Formats: sequence, C-alpha cells, structure tokens
Amino acid sequence: MIARERLNQLKEKFGPAIQRADLPGDSRLFVFVEPSALKAICQHIFRDLDARYVTSIGLDDRPCSGKFLVAHDFAFDRDHLLCSVLAYLPADNPKVDSISDVVPGASWAEREMRDLVGIEPVGHRYLKRLVLPDGWPDGMHPLRKDVPWNHVPAGYDEEREFTFDEPPEGCMVVPFGPFHPTLDEPAHFRLYVEGEMVRGCEYRGFMVHRGIEKLAESVLTYNDIPMMAERICGICGCVHNVTYAQAVETAVALRAPPRAEYIRTIMLEIERLHSHLLWVGLACHIVGFDTLFMQSWRIREPIMWIAEKISGNRKTYALCVIGGVRWDITPEVRAELRQVLDKLEAEWRAVVAAVSKDKNIQKRTRGVGVADMTLVKNIGLIGPVARAAGADIDCRRDHPYAAYDRVDFDVITEFGCDVWSRVVVRMKEVFEAIRIIRQCLEKMEDGPLQVPIKDELPVGRIGVSSVEAPRGESHHFVITGENNRPHRWRVRAPTYQNLQAVPMMIKDQQLADMTISLGSIDPCFSCTDRMETIDLKSGVTKVWSQQELESMTRRGKA
Amino acid sequence: MSVLSKLKEAVICLRAGRVTLPYPATARPVPEKFRGRPIFDAAKCIGCAGCASNCPSREILVVDLCQEIRILQYLGRRCTYCGRCADVCPEKAITMSHEFETATNCIGDIRQRLDLFMSTCQRCGRCFKEPSHLEQLKQKGYRFDDVQNERWVLRSQAYLTSEAAVDDMKIEI
Ligand code: SF4
Ligand code: SF4
Repeated sequence: MIARERLNQLKEKFGPAIQRADLPGDSRLFVFVEPSALKAICQHIFRDLDARYVTSIGLDDRPCSGKFLVAHDFAFDRDHLLCSVLAYLPADNPKVDSISDVVPGASWAEREMRDLVGIEPVGHRYLKRLVLPDGWPDGMHPLRKDVPWNHVPAGYDEEREFTFDEPPEGCMVVPFGPFHPTLDEPAHFRLYVEGEMVRGCEYRGFMVHRGIEKLAESVLTYNDIPMMAERICGICGCVHNVTYAQAVETAVALRAPPRAEYIRTIMLEIERLHSHLLWVGLACHIVGFDTLFMQSWRIREPIMWIAEKISGNRKTYALCVIGGVRWDITPEVRAELRQVLDKLEAEWRAVVAAVSKDKNIQKRTRGVGVADMTLVKNIGLIGPVARAAGADIDCRRDHPYAAYDRVDFDVITEFGCDVWSRVVVRMKEVFEAIRIIRQCLEKMEDGPLQVPIKDELPVGRIGVSSVEAPRGESHHFVITGENNRPHRWRVRAPTYQNLQAVPMMIKDQQLADMTISLGSIDPCFSCTDRMETIDLKSGVTKVWSQQELESMTRRGKA
Repeated sequence: MSVLSKLKEAVICLRAGRVTLPYPATARPVPEKFRGRPIFDAAKCIGCAGCASNCPSREILVVDLCQEIRILQYLGRRCTYCGRCADVCPEKAITMSHEFETATNCIGDIRQRLDLFMSTCQRCGRCFKEPSHLEQLKQKGYRFDDVQNERWVLRSQAYLTSEAAVDDMKIEI
C-alpha cells in the first residue's frame, strides 16, 4: 500500500498538522492539513519525497463548509500515485502561504487562484494579474459562488493600462505577438534583446476567456460538460473529454465497461497520431522547410477521415459521457483502421529515415531551446519536453487509465534537452501510438459501451485524473456537487506548465530561434486590446485605443 | 549525409503525387455517421423537451403558448453538432444530417421552429425516457424559455419575469 506508506511518512514528520486523509484506492491520496503547515508539507513532498508538481486549485467552498479550500496536486510517478494536499481557509480574508519559492512551477496557478477565487498567496514574489482582463475591477473574483455565471461587473475600466515590467539594462524590447505568423493563437511575449541575443522576456497571455469552468459549475450538468470540455483545445480535445469523464468516474467510484476503455484508448491514440503529425509539420514550417510540412499533413489526413468515420467528426469526437463512450468501433471500421495504420506506418518510416539525417533541420534545432532536468523538475514540465530531457515520465504508464494497463508500449526518452530531441521523441511516439491501437483492436472485447447509472452521483467527492495528452499531462480535478453538476472542476492543460518554462528556454539564445523554441513545446494558447502603428515618415508612435480601433473598423476603413 | 536525405524527401513528395481535393467545386462525400446540422421532424416529435433539457449548448427552446400548443425552437447559433439531442430523443425525431456548409449571413436560415399540437397531454415530461439517471429531465412540466430573446430559462416556471434577459449574443436575424 504505497498510498498508506506515503501518508505514514507525512504523519511521522508532521504529526498533528495532518488533520485527515482519504485513500480511495492505492493510486489516489487526499491529505487535509493545517493551513500553517501547508507550505512545509508541500516542500517535503516536492523536495524530499521527490514528487512532481502538478497544479494548485482554489475553491470557494462557503456554501458547503463555510470556508475556502486550497489544494496542491503532486504526482509520485514511480509509485503510480496522485496526491492532493488540501487545506481549509477562513471565509473572511482567505490567505495561504505561497509555495512558489520552493515549487517555482506553482507561480501561475497561485496567481490564477488569486485572480479567480481571491485566495491571497502570501509571500508570492510576482503578484501581477494573470488571468483576468486588465480592466476587470479589483476585488471581484468570478469563480466565487456568489458571482452568477452571467454577471457583468460594474466598474469595468476599458482604459486601464497594463504596466509592463522594466527591461533589464542595456536591452531593447522586441514585441512578439499577440499576432505573429508563427503563433496560431494570441499570446504576447515582450522579448528583451541585446543585439541578436534574447536575455529574457515577459509573457502576457490569457487573452481569450470562455468561462468554461464557471459554466460547468453553475449551468451545465454532468453529461453536458464532456461536449464543452473537448472545446478547451483545438487539437487534443478528446483528451479533456476523457480526463473529465475519468475524474468524475474516479470521484464516484464508477468504472466504464472494458470495451469503452479500449475505445477511449484508441481514440486518444488516434488523437496523438494526428497531433504529432501536425506538430512535426508545423515545426518544419517554422524552420522554413515547407516540403515536409505539406507531406506530414498529407500523411495525417487519412487519420482524420477514419476519426470522422468512427465518431462523426474529424476533430470533435464527442466521445465520452459519464460511465462510458457514445461511439462503437464496428468490424468494418476496425479493418479500415488497420489499413490506415499500415499505410501511415510505412509512410512515416520513410519520413523519419529522411529527416533524421537531414542536416538543415538539425542545424536549426540542435542546442536550441534547452530545457534540462533541473527546469523539468522545478517548473513541472511534462510530455515530450520532459522526455526529451531524459525524464522518464508518461501518465499512460505511470498513472494508467482506460486500457493502458493492458497494452504494451515504450516510453520514448531522449537526452539532448533541445528542440531536436523533442522532434525525435515525437517522431518515435507515432510508432508507439500505432502499436497501442493495434493491440487494442486485437484485445478489444465485446460488451456494453456504457454502465447504467441508477442513482444520483454522491456529493462532495473529490476525483483527479491525469491523461497523457500529445503535449503532456492533462490534469482534471473535480469535486462533485448538487444539482447534477460538479461543485468545482479545474482543468490544467499541459501547456500551462510548459509555457512557464519558455522564458528560461529562450534565454541567451538567438532571437531567430525564439519561434521554434516556443513551437517546440507545441503551445496551445487561447485577443487583444490595442495596436501600435508607427508613421514611418515622421517616426511618431501612436498607440491606438480600443475605441479608436472599433470606430475605425465600424467605418470600414483604416 | 544530407544530400541523401534531401533525395529521400524528394522521393516522398514525388510518390505522393497530387492529393489536393477540388473542394469547394466538389466536396468529398461524408461518412455515414457524420454529424452535421440536426434536422427536426415535426411529424414525429411529441414535444417531450428531452432534447432541450440535454442540449449542452442550450440551443433548443421550448415555450407553451397555451394548453395545446407547444413551440420548440432550434436556434442553430452555437450548436456544436454534438448529436446529444438526437441521442436522447425517444421518438427519433432528430436526425444528424450530412449538411456541413451551413455558413450564412442570416442566422434565421438555420433556425427551425416546430409548432406542436399537444392534444390533451398534461406535459408532465414523462414521455421522455431518460437514458440514464444523469439525463434526468430537470425541467419537467411547463416550459417557458424566452423565445423572444432566444434565451433558455434555467428553471421551470409558470411565467416570465419582466426584466430583459442579458443579451449574450446580438446576431442580426
Ligand atoms: S447537436 Fe448538440 S448542440 Fe446541437 S442542438 Fe443537438 S444537442 Fe444541442
Ligand atoms: S426529444 Fe424528440 S420528441 Fe422530445 S421534444 Fe425533442 S425532438 Fe421532440
């Protein structure tokens, strides 16, 4: 019982600070602790017990317990254990010691908690607003339960300026984004450059707000959310769909039937195939090698078509409901999927054979965007970025879900820590994905697709689930609630962690390598408020305000 | 050797030949199971409102004009073509069609309105057989969605409040 062992270790060291613990099985551990000891306990788990930091969650629990709740999630990958450390905070003026100085990767999650729930991380060194728009009034926290989902706050100040940090001495500022040819989504990087070298940067993102978590907690119901969850990401939507369903299922101790588990596995791997092929294409496009970009997307297309055949859509599979899946894999589709895989494998082999010796690509990617093991540990990097630095982590093996415990596959690791290693990892993972799908098709047993749910789902249960998305671990945290919907649902997409490492990855690198370094984490961002024009003749800089822009576009001329 | 790899890459391209589809001149046929725009069949629909209660995007509105007439309105503004409505419909009155080229200047083109004669049905909602407990019809009884403002009213109630609903989407109709 590894979960119990870990709990005993904590109890031994911290004694009465551990208030209570839940061990729902051997792969999950929830420890409720004294808020004053939270930081020390997290430090012990992260540094001494060498767990991987996953994310932090803030929650307004006043309607239930009259308090606020904060949770830090960690993963013991070798022990196959996901652990949450939770602490209740007083309802008035909720404050908690920041863990970001011992766990640097917690910085964003704590800032988000402060923005959305209003829990103050005491001792956080960089408390700039992260998630909320600049004009949003202070002291108004949208994820609190007393804020209605359609609330429009009074005092929204559209003119409020965002203050950028001061660039280091001797550095010029080069803005990158929010709209940039190599960024598919809006994000803004303010690069500090010295000559051609990047010395640092400030990131400003969170430009698209959709309020999916709030909707889920107040409007949608259990079986509506999967269809919304898959819209979180434009590439790996099925991942969120499955992770959400699994998080709820683990919370209420429900298990999808075996056939459903195999189908989930197959669809997740189909998604990995199309995502990796897309990424290799994009990476080639970023370094200016469009031939391979076209070819890799050509090879990818049949996968999209077969997904369309199985689920009715090439991208949004709308696969899961709580307790099972909606689509079956018929014998005809099975035969066709096998053919598609055979063809894909042969074609991908040819591409890998060509690319792995291509000096041009290697020259652009070797030694670029370095993320080493220290960074992986500190920021909690995951997925191909971590595996390219030699970190042997993969949720499919470490925290098995769906049918991954019944299939055989290798976790690909490389040791170059650079963009090239990430290319290699992803290229090889394509073959592993093919292997997994083949085994699933072989082993898949007949049976029902959904379990009947006869009772209401119990209230107040916590469930966490990690799924290895193409970009890394996607982690969902659910507390079940009343009215047929979750009380809290927190989504941590892999890019959330990986993006935090970008400033370190591009430091002391050539400016021209910025795009591929960023591209190498396979970012998935989610608009902007103003633009800047410079009159070339006079050199006068004018910053256009939102109103000016709007009136300009309304008049239909610029 | 880089020259060799360049040759290999050239071979890959040449082997592939031309793959670009002549779309939009001719569209590739979609598979049998394709989920396109949902089509509502007024002849089959019994007005149970199961689809309305289970649509994740809240795209189907129901309003009872009087004892006998129930209006079911599909808006089609933010429908995600997820097919949940077709799944839960006990009468198979909804088909996920193969239409996907639904872009339009006028949202009213996609809207569907069913005027249903409810006979003597008391609109208890019981004719909707929920597939699982989670799909329980939360809005049994009279339905008064705000069809004028195209808004779902979240709780079943007997009358509409006078306050205007927040317009989350202003679309020219
Ligand atoms: S397809 Fe989905 S989103 Fe569209 S009306 Fe039906 S249930 Fe609603
Ligand atoms: S579920 Fe079917 S029968 Fe019931 S209201 Fe909707 S379309 Fe009509």
